[in-house]
Amino acid sequence: MKRFRQRPGEISEFSDLPLWQKADTIDLLYVGYGLLIVSLVVASYLLGALQWLPHDPNALNLNLLLAGPGTPGHLLGTDFMGRDLLTRLVLGIQAYFLPGLMAVASALFGGTVLGVVAGYRGGGAGLIVTFLGNLIDSFPRLVLILLVIAAFKPDIWYIMAVIGISNVPAVASLVQGKIAMLREKNFIEAAVALGLPTRTIIAKHILWYNCKALLIIQATLGMAEAILMETSLSYLGFGVQEPTPSWGNMVQSGANYFLQGNLWPSTAPALAILFTILGFHLLGDGLNNLLEGKRGR
Amino acid sequence: MTMEARAPMSESLLEVIDLKKHFRQRRGLFANLRGAEGVIPAVDGVSFYLKEQETVGLVGESGCGKTTVGKTILGLTGATSGKVIFAGHEITAMGGEPLRALRSSMQMIFQDLDAGLNPKMRIEQILREALTVHHRPSDAECARRIHELLDQVKLKSNKLSQYPHELSGGEKRRIGLARVLAVGPRFIVADEPTSALDVSIQAQVVNLLRDLQQDLALSFLFISHDLRIVELMSHKVAVMYLGKIVEMGVSERISHRPAHPYTRVLWTSLVEKQNREAQPAAASGAWGVFDFERPSAGCRFAPRCPVYQAAGRPAICTDAASEPPLRELSSGHYCACHFPLS
Amino acid sequence: MSASLLKIDNLRTYFYSRSKRAFIRSVDGVSLAINRGETLGIVGESGCGKSVTALSVMGLITATPGVITGRIDFANGTLHRNLLDGLDQSVRLSEEEGRIMDVVKDSGAWQRQSDRLQRGVRGGEIAMIFQNPKASMNPFEPVGAQIVEAVRLHTEHTGKKEAEQRALHWLERVRIDSPRLRFHNHPYGLSGGMCQRAMIAMALAAEPSLLIADEPTTGLDATIQSKIVDLLAELKAEIGITTLLISHDMGVIGRLADRVAVMYGGRVVEEGGAQQVLAGGEGNHPYTRALIASIPGAAEVRQKSYLQAIEGDVLDTINIPAGCRFYERCNRVTEAVRERCADCEPQLFDAGSGQRVRCWLFAP
Repeated sequence: MKRFRQRPGEISEFSDLPLWQKADTIDLLYVGYGLLIVSLVVASYLLGALQWLPHDPNALNLNLLLAGPGTPGHLLGTDFMGRDLLTRLVLGIQAYFLPGLMAVASALFGGTVLGVVAGYRGGGAGLIVTFLGNLIDSFPRLVLILLVIAAFKPDIWYIMAVIGISNVPAVASLVQGKIAMLREKNFIEAAVALGLPTRTIIAKHILWYNCKALLIIQATLGMAEAILMETSLSYLGFGVQEPTPSWGNMVQSGANYFLQGNLWPSTAPALAILFTILGFHLLGDGLNNLLEGKRGR
Repeated sequence: MTMEARAPMSESLLEVIDLKKHFRQRRGLFANLRGAEGVIPAVDGVSFYLKEQETVGLVGESGCGKTTVGKTILGLTGATSGKVIFAGHEITAMGGEPLRALRSSMQMIFQDLDAGLNPKMRIEQILREALTVHHRPSDAECARRIHELLDQVKLKSNKLSQYPHELSGGEKRRIGLARVLAVGPRFIVADEPTSALDVSIQAQVVNLLRDLQQDLALSFLFISHDLRIVELMSHKVAVMYLGKIVEMGVSERISHRPAHPYTRVLWTSLVEKQNREAQPAAASGAWGVFDFERPSAGCRFAPRCPVYQAAGRPAICTDAASEPPLRELSSGHYCACHFPLS
Repeated sequence: MSASLLKIDNLRTYFYSRSKRAFIRSVDGVSLAINRGETLGIVGESGCGKSVTALSVMGLITATPGVITGRIDFANGTLHRNLLDGLDQSVRLSEEEGRIMDVVKDSGAWQRQSDRLQRGVRGGEIAMIFQNPKASMNPFEPVGAQIVEAVRLHTEHTGKKEAEQRALHWLERVRIDSPRLRFHNHPYGLSGGMCQRAMIAMALAAEPSLLIADEPTTGLDATIQSKIVDLLAELKAEIGITTLLISHDMGVIGRLADRVAVMYGGRVVEEGGAQQVLAGGEGNHPYTRALIASIPGAAEVRQKSYLQAIEGDVLDTINIPAGCRFYERCNRVTEAVRERCADCEPQLFDAGSGQRVRCWLFAP
């Protein structure tokens, strides 16, 4: 049974209710949660950068090995070397935050430039871009990362560079598709006919008004992927190395003690990974629905 | 080209000389290897001129190339060959910045009501943008001009803060007009300005265009498939068929004493549609699918032409070497037919 | 017992705009009857509800809330059915000031019920042709196969060979050129006019009692339009099929329809014999009259005079005024009826010889 109610009285002339009234509740929840996670991450990054931490991340406390959560002085307990987990978790964000941003920024920048060239110029340029895109996509990403690690060193920045570049084709094709759609709607032709200069058409009409949502969403998804990659590689030992904390290598080091019944040192970072990536994904999904107005209507 | 009586360049605002626009057709790999050249001659040698404050109507069915003519004249697509001279400037030889600057004098109303209306911009922003493309008015001047434009297209100012999707079809058409007028053009290509609208709104738009032409001394190239409205609005009418002009003249002539069989077919089908006593089929000629790749040899209209059928299929009509040229039948009246109707 | 093949009674089809929190009252109380053998034309501009009426008859409205009141009685001699039977059990309405403001509907249950009622009727007894023929046919199947499908489903010719014969016969009947060739063509290989003919063949091949044609000539070239109209006139004369013809083109309606209903703002504002309604004079609803006057006539064209436009915009069926829906744009209001026009919506008054007009000027 579904109920439809018309608001008595004047019907608003604008079909432009504020976003939070028009949207589905679930989308608002997604975005709310996502924004919460993002703010926690940013806050933690700043705390870490400014070294405003409850404890020294490398301070060993051999008396308090593998303490559980709630131990006085250590909100989330300690790991197998007596180091405070909470501090290490907060610091772990350093491992992926800036590098992840770099990956996202390079993917967006490269993808936008190539997408615009391919979409606006079309023809030969479009073919070249598509070919390059297919080429990059055909490379097994993990193999490429491992190659880079072997060739240089297991540096998270190099890894993120690879991830950024390998995401360029996806963004480029999205932008290219958007431009194709706009072209279909006589949009671009009308703007040219008016006499708008090309740079205005691209920057204002195509990118700002039409690609903004797309790019924001790609940013959130890109960040989620960066975190996933970083933590996975660190877990495997290829990313951030001990003693620098990374959620991935924290899970790794705690794993040895897992079977002995000390669940927390492994579980805490694992949960952090889960909830954070979930936050970015839901943010992307929710924003997608909100900005593109896909649900309900 | 047998159009001898061409107005001297100084008198006409727009001159189109033997304009051609061919589209390359995408063919399969094997066809390309075989060397088969697939070309769609959307516009295949169109010539006419337009004077100040004159409206030239361009009539034809879908696929005849009339929209392409409009776009090529404005330089929105490049011409394959031929010349377009607007106010002394040769459009076909221009590009880049000079062409862009010239756009302040020549504009286009698109068939699609949403063209040019960014759905994420409010009407006020859209108009403001149009005003600032070629000039730099002050804020106060902008606001004044915006209200002036709304007055000219007879819209209330409460529309300014709305988005395009909140407007009705007729309102969108008016805003599109206002946007075009904002740059201050002398010449407007109107591509099917009334087609997507309801009948009662069409009448409003037609009246509006008439008023604007008088008040602002505009010249129009009026493209439409609706013969009645074209005749109403235009001084001169050109009838197009498969990329060529088959008849051209003063609008009364074209509608009441057409010389080309196709023009006659267009008029009679309009009338027959409504006439209960109409005898089906005879005068309207047979229909058929047209394959641009293989235009019929000789006269393009021959397969559908009732005169051709009635005259026993004379060979000259399908002779590849003698495609009928546009000949002047009487002063200002041109027709491309071997057997023009008298 | 009336000879009406289809009788629509008080049909209401509403949609809901979430952004405006209001109902879009597309069809707001429409009653029509089509007698056997006649062609009823529905004329009106965009938003008046004519297409939605046809889709409601066919049970093709899936948006919510959709059809909320009414009866649609279909009676072709062997089959008598109310296509909206049981609707009132799935819907609960509440009104305020005479206007429906609250609707509770069990769409799932109603959809199932509607599908049950439409079985055998939709496609078989009532066939529909649509505005854009290329978009309405399956682009992946050849045209002939689609017609064969219709024949096998809805007639007694269920054998494959038999059905193909029938399909070919219908393609010939609609005067498509080279029917044997076109039988194997896909819709994209046919021109607009030929596609429309094929769609007509597909609809008629099911041997329906009622044909609903929704804007069959719109979107086609001028010369092709007159051909399709010729075809429909021929088929009408030959087969005598009952037709519900929907169009905004008065010329087409005038040529084909026996009776005409004019719709505005979701209601029928005039109905009667075709000649009478399309006369566009004193004896007609002001809207009909103004609509016909706004079409450029031969004299106006020759003299290049200004057209008689109707002021204002077409009603958007969300903001329905109290009183007559056409009042704002009406140019025939007299002092005697002004107050009533502004406050009270008129009902259909009898204007003589079977004609009815929804206007206070015609009140007895």
